[in-house]
Amino acid sequence: MNSAGLIVFDALLLLSIVGLAWASLATTDVRRSIILFMALGLVLAVAWGRLLAPDVALAEAAIGAGLSGALLLAAAHGQPSPLPPESTNAPRNHGAAGMGMVLRWAITLLCAALAGTLVWALLHAFSNPQHDMLPRAISANLAASGVSNPVTAVLLNFRAYDTLLELAVLLTAVLGTFALGQATPGYRPAGLVFDGLVRWLVPVLILTAGYLLWAGAHAPGGAFQAGATLAAAGVVLRLAGRTRIGLPVGFMLRMIMAAGVGVFLLVGLTLLLLGRPFLGYPPAWAGSLILMIETAAMFSIAATLLLAFLGGQPESTDVNAVANRQREEDPRC
Amino acid sequence: MTELFMLSALGLMLSLFLGLLRVLLGPGIGDRMLATQLIGTSGVGMLLLFNEVFNQPALLDVALLLALLAAVAAAAFTGQQKTHHD
Repeated sequence: MNSAGLIVFDALLLLSIVGLAWASLATTDVRRSIILFMALGLVLAVAWGRLLAPDVALAEAAIGAGLSGALLLAAAHGQPSPLPPESTNAPRNHGAAGMGMVLRWAITLLCAALAGTLVWALLHAFSNPQHDMLPRAISANLAASGVSNPVTAVLLNFRAYDTLLELAVLLTAVLGTFALGQATPGYRPAGLVFDGLVRWLVPVLILTAGYLLWAGAHAPGGAFQAGATLAAAGVVLRLAGRTRIGLPVGFMLRMIMAAGVGVFLLVGLTLLLLGRPFLGYPPAWAGSLILMIETAAMFSIAATLLLAFLGGQPESTDVNAVANRQREEDPRC
Repeated sequence: MTELFMLSALGLMLSLFLGLLRVLLGPGIGDRMLATQLIGTSGVGMLLLFNEVFNQPALLDVALLLALLAAVAAAAFTGQQKTHHD
């Protein structure tokens, strides 16, 4: 009875994932497609939970279900609405359609190739009797890593290089965002109900971010999930039309953007000077060093995501700068 | 006890599925968004049940985060962006 119930449950879950994925790709309306994608993120988080992979489920819930939806909706707002068919001249339209067809087939083929590779890797892993070698190596060395959560041990200790480079990728992404120029216009002030939601949602999001950061040492969590949750607090504030969303300006902002990579490199280079390998923490200090790096990384990640939501450099809150800009825009005063 | 949890999870799955139909059929964009919220709430319930069935306390954190971020998604849908002329 129990296992039969689970099979029915899993089948329905699988059906809803495939259905939502198909629908979000097949629909032509951008906003509808984004909402279907958000629903897909929610169901995927549940599916990861069902597979007993809480680390992935947390990341999917934080980034897939909430933040990417907000990012995509803001991006869709900036898009010009598609031109009516009669205003575009026929030959150009024809070329664009042909290009779209080629692109669609190329993406389909690439997806099929990826799926084939994954199936091959899975079969290979199952046929290889030694496929639990890595998990065993990790649990054997977990005591020396400074944390008791194996995922954090891999991300921040055994494969700290990977995480350092991921943070460098995020820093590059912020530079790309800054290249877009000024941030998009803000939002209209929230109504009564939305304002009430903001009052309790933002503090709870900030508290949860701190909790996830701390929990990362011994349970699923860590800097990426915590950073995304912290960024969500800023996103909600901006959506509610607040001008101050907890993002510093000028030098402070640049310091926070670079904090993740900076602290990581500082720790690595200091260890190098002390005669240890790069990022080879001494076991007695590993726990504190990991927490320090993760805290800096959380702020960097939150700032990166929030700047991506702003879609450009934040407007200066300096009164003089604002007054100057208004004078430039309006020559009458 | 586990049977009861399993039955409840199936019930929540049914509610998720009904929400899914509304998300797919619409008709309005608001209908789809509200159905997404229903999916999120059903998902939170399922994760809480899984925490009991599989004895995985970390799923409680996932449920917490899913509930919070589903609210952010709703906020993203309702927020009205200013235009350049505002």
